[in-house]
Amino acid sequence: MKDAEPRNLFPGALEMMILRTLKRQPLHGYALAQHIKKTSNGLLQIEEGSLYPALQRLLRAELVKAEWGISPTNRRVRTYKLTVAGAKHLEREVSSFERMLEGITRVLARGES
Amino acid sequence: MNRLKQFFLRRDLYHDLDDEIAFHLEERERELVAGGMPASEAHAAAYREFGNVGLLKESAREAWGWRWLEDLSADLRFGARMLRKAPGFTIAAIITLALGIGANTAVFSMANALVFRPLPVKDAGRLMVVAARPSQYDPPFPLSYAAFLDFQRANNVFVEMTGYALNLDGLGSQEHADRVVACYTPGNFFTMLGLRPALGRLFVPGEGDARRSAPFIVLGYSYWQRRFASDQKVVGQTVNLDGQAVTVIGVVEKAFKGPYAMIDVDVYAPVGMYGGATGSTSFLTARENSDFRVLATLKPGLTTEQAESALNVVARQLGQQYPQTDQGRIMRVIPEGLARPEPAVSDSSKLVTTVFLLMVALVLLVACINVANLLLARATARAKEMAVRAAVGAGRLRLIRQSLTESILLAVAGGAVGAVIGNWACRALEQLRPIGDFPIRIGFTFDWRVFSYVTAIVLAAGVLAGLVPALRMRRTNLVETLREGGRTVIGDSGHHWLRNFLVIGQLAGSLIVLVAAGLFVRSLAGAESVDLGFERRNVLNVGMNPAQQGYDQPRAEAFFRVLLRKVRALPGVQSASLAFSVPISYYNDGGVVYAEGQELTAKGRAPGAGFNSVSPGYFETLGIPILQGRAFNDTDTAGTNPVAVINEEMAKRLWPGQDPMGRRFSSISASGPFVTVVGVARNAKYNVISEESRMYFYLPLTQNYKQIHMLQLRTSLPPETLIPTIEAQVREIDPNLPMFDVMGMEKSLQGGNGFLLYKMAAALAGILGALGLVLAVVGVYGVVSYTASLRKHEIGVRMALGAHPRKIFGLVLRQAVILISAGVGFGLAATLGVTRFLSSLLVGVSSYDPATLVGVPALLSVVALVACYLPARRATRVDPMVALRYE
Repeated sequence: MKDAEPRNLFPGALEMMILRTLKRQPLHGYALAQHIKKTSNGLLQIEEGSLYPALQRLLRAELVKAEWGISPTNRRVRTYKLTVAGAKHLEREVSSFERMLEGITRVLARGES
Repeated sequence: MNRLKQFFLRRDLYHDLDDEIAFHLEERERELVAGGMPASEAHAAAYREFGNVGLLKESAREAWGWRWLEDLSADLRFGARMLRKAPGFTIAAIITLALGIGANTAVFSMANALVFRPLPVKDAGRLMVVAARPSQYDPPFPLSYAAFLDFQRANNVFVEMTGYALNLDGLGSQEHADRVVACYTPGNFFTMLGLRPALGRLFVPGEGDARRSAPFIVLGYSYWQRRFASDQKVVGQTVNLDGQAVTVIGVVEKAFKGPYAMIDVDVYAPVGMYGGATGSTSFLTARENSDFRVLATLKPGLTTEQAESALNVVARQLGQQYPQTDQGRIMRVIPEGLARPEPAVSDSSKLVTTVFLLMVALVLLVACINVANLLLARATARAKEMAVRAAVGAGRLRLIRQSLTESILLAVAGGAVGAVIGNWACRALEQLRPIGDFPIRIGFTFDWRVFSYVTAIVLAAGVLAGLVPALRMRRTNLVETLREGGRTVIGDSGHHWLRNFLVIGQLAGSLIVLVAAGLFVRSLAGAESVDLGFERRNVLNVGMNPAQQGYDQPRAEAFFRVLLRKVRALPGVQSASLAFSVPISYYNDGGVVYAEGQELTAKGRAPGAGFNSVSPGYFETLGIPILQGRAFNDTDTAGTNPVAVINEEMAKRLWPGQDPMGRRFSSISASGPFVTVVGVARNAKYNVISEESRMYFYLPLTQNYKQIHMLQLRTSLPPETLIPTIEAQVREIDPNLPMFDVMGMEKSLQGGNGFLLYKMAAALAGILGALGLVLAVVGVYGVVSYTASLRKHEIGVRMALGAHPRKIFGLVLRQAVILISAGVGFGLAATLGVTRFLSSLLVGVSSYDPATLVGVPALLSVVALVACYLPARRATRVDPMVALRYE
């Protein structure tokens, strides 16, 4: 396996990052994409557009809600907000992710010794 | 927001998404420009970073989970549009499918009514008919009531056992009597079947089982409506049932028409009342009787075979106990549906149902192949369209789905028309019902079973017809097809091979159906030419039951003396006589006979024989020759020595090689009372057309009185023309005496035991055969003319080079001949393999009947060749110039 190849996200990772970002503050799609891209330091290779199918799925599951507003450039924009269910879901996901990460880390550490 | 609302608002949702994405791209582009990127590059960069916009939109939409629904509705709309654009093709395909599906609907509705639809009773799925085969060579018959009681006592395989005996009785109420179908049952009949009263109450277990212990009756719902105008006050009324005063205690629920298929029961009476005013107890005790139809609910988890072996243990014990009547019996436990109307048909009813369902399925297959061929031809014309669709990215599966959607759409339309045709055919077939004044009910109603069957065959037909063209699509070569510019490819040999193969299958399938049809038609002819042993022409039957008017024996005898004298004097009447039953009608007498002085061997059971009570003049009227001795005359009266006329078979079997005259036999017991043989009559058919020679005897009506009298006249005029005169004569003596089954003997023979079944089979098979023939011929015609049109160019070249039109004609016809001979050849081979299964259903014709096996293929070949004559002729008229200019 070549190291240089960008790593694909595991299923649910993008959703988790979206929810986490929205927990801090409501954002519209574009800002959300830029934020995730910036904070991940470009380590995670995601197409910006793949955010939108994920947002649609979250909308359908009612983990986020959206409100329409007007942008400074006078465009209709949709601002996404975390719902109560979304916050709970995020908590569950994060803790299960952390447990999984812990497990993986241990296995990797054992392998070394 | 609920899902349904979301689905209809999905356009808004999609629109929002488009806006959002557009905003994202603009924003990104603006930012990149602000960061110093040239505007021309920024636009592309924004898109690059975003990813495949179309794909992402698609996958965002998919998040809502409507993709399949949208595809389906797009397919449907597109399919409907394509079908509308080619109305000729669409109508042809729909009519073809409608005929196939309609025929299936009709045949299945009949099978449903006759076999599949359960009685509306409790645990109908486990309801069994228990019957006994007198020996391994006989079909199963009902039991005697005495044997039923024995089996009931020893029962350990059924939850419960009950049964019934049917009888035609007179029911008198309010000064007026009519003939009713009476069902005599043990007290547990209604409770075991879980039936409820519509009015009053029903019998309870044990009620009326003992002789005349409960003079009560329950009315059938429709009889209550008809005769008592749904009068609520009928409960508690006293009526007269065959001379006995009985009280109406209730009316049974509407849905239950009676336990016997196709006959509405009018009256239910306790089994202890059987025998009516005659006071005879023989029904309850006589073991040679076989009129009691046993119904039993199988215990859950048991098979019919297990139940049969348990019953056979009991049957063996009974055989030892009552060797004369019960020995050698083999018990049968038959699911109720398969024992309709009589347990004796149980083996053939499965076969008949299978045969006709298979025949009609073959017809549908032939129809589907026609539609498949039509679709194939269209697929060729639409090859370019499909190639374009494939080129712009439609998946192969998606194209196959589109093609299947179209064919299923056709099948659904065909199914709708077909269901209407099928229903109409059922109505027509209902008219082919047994004649006689018997309340026959054939309910070919459209229920959920028929509906599911039709739905299933519609889908099957749609997939079958669409699959071949759809699979063909896999092999479409995109580049080739697009480059061809949509022109048909002459050298597409794979295509022709498939087409030809389909047509050969079609011809073979329709040949099988046609041969079966031919055999059934020949069987009807065979049945009609069977020697009945009596002269069927110019005989008129007039049924009367003077007991319905309260006549006792002396009064009835006086009545008929006067009547006979009057009708014998009528012009056109050659002779007149009375009898209890008409040969090959729906009721008759039978029992066992004991020859005087012949010890039954240890294993021997008394042989069975049928009999009839007749007046002097009977043999003359029916045209049955007396071979030896004498017929009855006026000196045979109640007071004189009891006598009998026996048939040849009985003489041969009871007294082989001896003179039967003066011998004595008894139908009651081995110790008499005996009757003396005074004559031997020629063998005839008595109960059913297909019966073998059986023992039969005749007793004088004066010495064996019956309430039912069938006046029979031999006429020199067409018998039906005498009906008004005869009816007037009867009314002159008693204006209130009802008459029934007034018809000529030839009409009477069209009944259920007569030619009816042969006629129905021949009619139904004939219709299916004709349908198969037409569809197959249309198929051959279509393929031959299509191929000829594809070869137009080649033919043009040949003609330009000087080929004689006859040569061209032969060229086209050669393909037809090859196809037809291959189809007929394969069909004939398949037919020879399957017709033997029909042999038990045929009368007077072998299942390898040479006339059918030669005639039918010849007919199919000739008709198909004639159909191909047209395209061959058309091919010879190809104008070489026109054909060549095509290039």
